[in-house]
Amino acid sequence: MGFNFIYFYDSVRSGIEYLPNTFELTFIPILVGLCLGILIAVIRVYRIPFFAPLLAVLITLYQGIPLVVALMIYHLLFMAAFNNFAAVLHLSISMADINTIWIGIFALSLHATCYMEESIKGAFFSVDQGQYEAGYSVGLTRLQTLRRIIIPQVIPVALPMLTNNIVGTIKGSSIVMVIGITEVLAGSVIPASKTYAFFEGYIAAALIYWIFTILVEKFAMRIEKRGDKYRRNLV
Amino acid sequence: MIEIKNAKKSFGKNEILHDVSIQVNKGDVIVILGPSGSGKTTLLRCINFLEKADAGTLTIGEQTVDLKKASSKEILEIRRKTAFVFQNYSLFHNKTALENVMEGLITARHVPYADAKKKAEDTLAWVGLLAKKDAYPCQLSGGQQQRVGIARAVVLDPEVILFDEPTSALDPELVGETLAVIKSVAERGITMIVVTHEMSFAQDVASKVVFMDGGFIVEEGTPAEIFRHPKEERTKQFLARIISAENMYYI
Repeated sequence: MGFNFIYFYDSVRSGIEYLPNTFELTFIPILVGLCLGILIAVIRVYRIPFFAPLLAVLITLYQGIPLVVALMIYHLLFMAAFNNFAAVLHLSISMADINTIWIGIFALSLHATCYMEESIKGAFFSVDQGQYEAGYSVGLTRLQTLRRIIIPQVIPVALPMLTNNIVGTIKGSSIVMVIGITEVLAGSVIPASKTYAFFEGYIAAALIYWIFTILVEKFAMRIEKRGDKYRRNLV
Repeated sequence: MIEIKNAKKSFGKNEILHDVSIQVNKGDVIVILGPSGSGKTTLLRCINFLEKADAGTLTIGEQTVDLKKASSKEILEIRRKTAFVFQNYSLFHNKTALENVMEGLITARHVPYADAKKKAEDTLAWVGLLAKKDAYPCQLSGGQQQRVGIARAVVLDPEVILFDEPTSALDPELVGETLAVIKSVAERGITMIVVTHEMSFAQDVASKVVFMDGGFIVEEGTPAEIFRHPKEERTKQFLARIISAENMYYI
């Protein structure tokens, strides 16, 4: 099998053109995942009645669904029900006005929330109960203890796991290709539809993802080092 | 004055405190003795609402609260009048020694930063650790950590400091320095309730010794009364075992 560098170059350019879509498909889910993940983790760590067990069940159930399957289901639901739904709400928009990328963002956000919640919850459990009690004993409220004592200790533990989740979300974003969203992967193989240089196309996509994830990991390592100053080497 | 009346607490079916009442006058040093599982620590934790008792009342100064039904506002008020020294130190891992001592002043009592820093430094100097003020807890020895823990409690000028076995996690060489600091807390006239197994400390410092067993207060009195002339059979048994064990060291 020959490797055509001109086709490869075309594929890289075409893939990079769709990088903004991949950014949208990763950064929005990461942000949503972080915010909801922290919220749900706090609810579960503090065992808030009703919500904590409900969320535990929902997350366990949701984690059992592959991302592709969830995407397909949302896409079908969207196509089958959106126009009726808009009519009920008297919205003057139709299915055609909505970019399907939002279906991808929605599905990726839910998956990111589940994984990040688990990482953050795990990090919470690494903080000794005595730290809470010490906070209360000097007269801090629950919220003050959480903000000033617990969260600063949770972050350095959670960071490596969250980095993993983020890299997972970046790579997971390529799956949205199956519902016809064009991002880096689909973009890289566009030229191949004319030239049949699929091999070059996929290598181009791999290269772009690889650089993207390396950059994210380097950035995360920098932050991790900053938060590490008070931690025992052996923890 | 601090008064606990009819405190009761059980974990599941296991009743830890049966109707315990204690009265502490200002400046008193109360030492609570007793075997493991006798409810000493639970009693201390109930005073600071780290554990919620099933019944009873607590009076600190003018304020009386129900140990079971206290609102979160009342709990916060009580906690701001008390301080706690933990068995395993429980310093804030993410803060330096100085920040540990300042935290309660700044966040809970809204003392201006400069005043809080001055006061915290003075207190650290008093426990002999001013040189270590920028060290994180993981860089301090157990005895040093516990002295920071004591400074963190003393700096708040609480009405009472609760010590939960402050030396039992320390190795024998470090017990001395920590006990010396606790003794000087007592000399400052701060009211203290101390749970400990250090008999000689109890003899030297306590103004009242309380012996607990099985969730009851078996006997209370001055150190001389309890150690030399215990009235109850259970107290005699306990002391006989402990004191003969302590004497072993001198043989």
